[in-house]
Amino acid sequence: MRVRKESENILGHEVANSRIDSWWWLVAAVIVIVILLAILQPDPYWRIIRFVSDGVLVTVGVTLTAFVLTLVIGLLAALGRLSKIGFIRWATTIYVEVARGIPLLVQLLFWYFAFPSLIQGFGRLIHFQPLERYLANPFAMAILGLTFCYSAYMSEIYRAGIQSIPKGQNEAARSLGMTHNQAMRHIILPQAFKVVLPPLGNEFISLLKDSSLVSTVSVADMTRRGREFMAANFIPVETWLMIALLYLVMTLISARIVSWIERKTQTEDR
Amino acid sequence: MNTEPIIHIENLHKHFGETAALNGVDIDVYPGEVVVIIGPSGSGKSTLLRCINRLEAFQAGTVVVDNIPLTTAENINAVRTEIGMVFQSFNLFPHLSVLENVTIAQKVVRKRSKSEAVEVALALLEKVGIPEKANDFPGQLSGGQQQRVAIARALAMNPKIMLFDEPTSALDPEMIQEVLDVMLQLAKEGMTMVVVSHEMGFARAAADRAVLMDEGLIVEEDVPDVLFSHPTQERTQAFLSKIL
Repeated sequence: MRVRKESENILGHEVANSRIDSWWWLVAAVIVIVILLAILQPDPYWRIIRFVSDGVLVTVGVTLTAFVLTLVIGLLAALGRLSKIGFIRWATTIYVEVARGIPLLVQLLFWYFAFPSLIQGFGRLIHFQPLERYLANPFAMAILGLTFCYSAYMSEIYRAGIQSIPKGQNEAARSLGMTHNQAMRHIILPQAFKVVLPPLGNEFISLLKDSSLVSTVSVADMTRRGREFMAANFIPVETWLMIALLYLVMTLISARIVSWIERKTQTEDR
Repeated sequence: MNTEPIIHIENLHKHFGETAALNGVDIDVYPGEVVVIIGPSGSGKSTLLRCINRLEAFQAGTVVVDNIPLTTAENINAVRTEIGMVFQSFNLFPHLSVLENVTIAQKVVRKRSKSEAVEVALALLEKVGIPEKANDFPGQLSGGQQQRVAIARALAMNPKIMLFDEPTSALDPEMIQEVLDVMLQLAKEGMTMVVVSHEMGFARAAADRAVLMDEGLIVEEDVPDVLFSHPTQERTQAFLSKIL
């Protein structure tokens, strides 16, 4: 069993190694295309880039904020699903199933349009002024929606990682007198975290792409700014080509970083 | 021998689903005693060992360790800090260095300062004969070295009792002796030990008592020399004829 695992590691290692250079070329190629377009055809390409540049920051900001929250909440949900306490296990399982069972776009629409109405209704019910006049902040609702949905997926990744650690590790920790929480914190989670790093990175890339959905709930991200530009200039091909290229630059760079982390954790195992 | 047993087990029953593992085991272990448990695989010897620090829950019976009954979670943790356990597959923490493997529980459970824990750990690594490996990681060690680190890790908690669950079964033959030597020395120092092992040489040299288990029951127990040379039970004779 051990031999097989090592050969798999070596195999994955070589694949990652041979891949890394060629795929950095792809990143470079896409960046070069963007730059060439901007220089050779400043109208409309450079205009598009300038117009959507604030949207780029919004996309990055929304993605990073939601991702950090997802890391924390996903872990809590995973621990909940592995809890010995029946109620906590039950509640977190329902959360994960519900959040994974509803399309992300529908969830975002719910948090932005429906949730504030519910809060206002509740405020009227208890005659509490601040709640009655509650207005949704698009950013907060978008991040809430992304976090709510992605934490459920993330919790499953964490759970798989925790369960991949051999039972003997927990037994050794407990036999030394550690409590469940101490064993988790000092023995299981540090090892599980290494296992889940690559899939966590892939979740980040998915989240980056899915963040374009927040354009439907009043957040002026890259996609929404692209639509605004198109509405004003009527050049769909150029606009969406440039938007697509900009997303591609971001996701390709992220993928390189994930692959780098993957290789690093694999070599450290030895 | 001391009259008060440090481990008292009475009428212990344990089953995994439909399969019975222990069918009413009674055994007492006295302070400073070394007990070796032998028996065919599936006889319940490892399960019995794992019930002593409650890594395995049991359905009926009493286990009392150092006057603490294994009942509440609090008691179980208190008992575990008094019992060191060594596993067949070592179960060292692969993400921690050898030194950290030996200090982590001291710091987390015994609340010792870092410098105190390191001092204890270095002394124990010296004792098991691998002080030079303190900064290596478990993956860089041989099986025999890993198992000696595991013994040091357990001893760092200053246990009153050490449990060994087939400590040499996963080792290459040339590494068995280095682990047995450490165990022999521990026995000589008066550590109370319960050892599941078929190492007859170790049993003859160190054990006060050898116990043969089969089908979840204790079949026969005696001084190792007597049990191995003149077993009275047919089942003991049959088992010994296969392994000797």
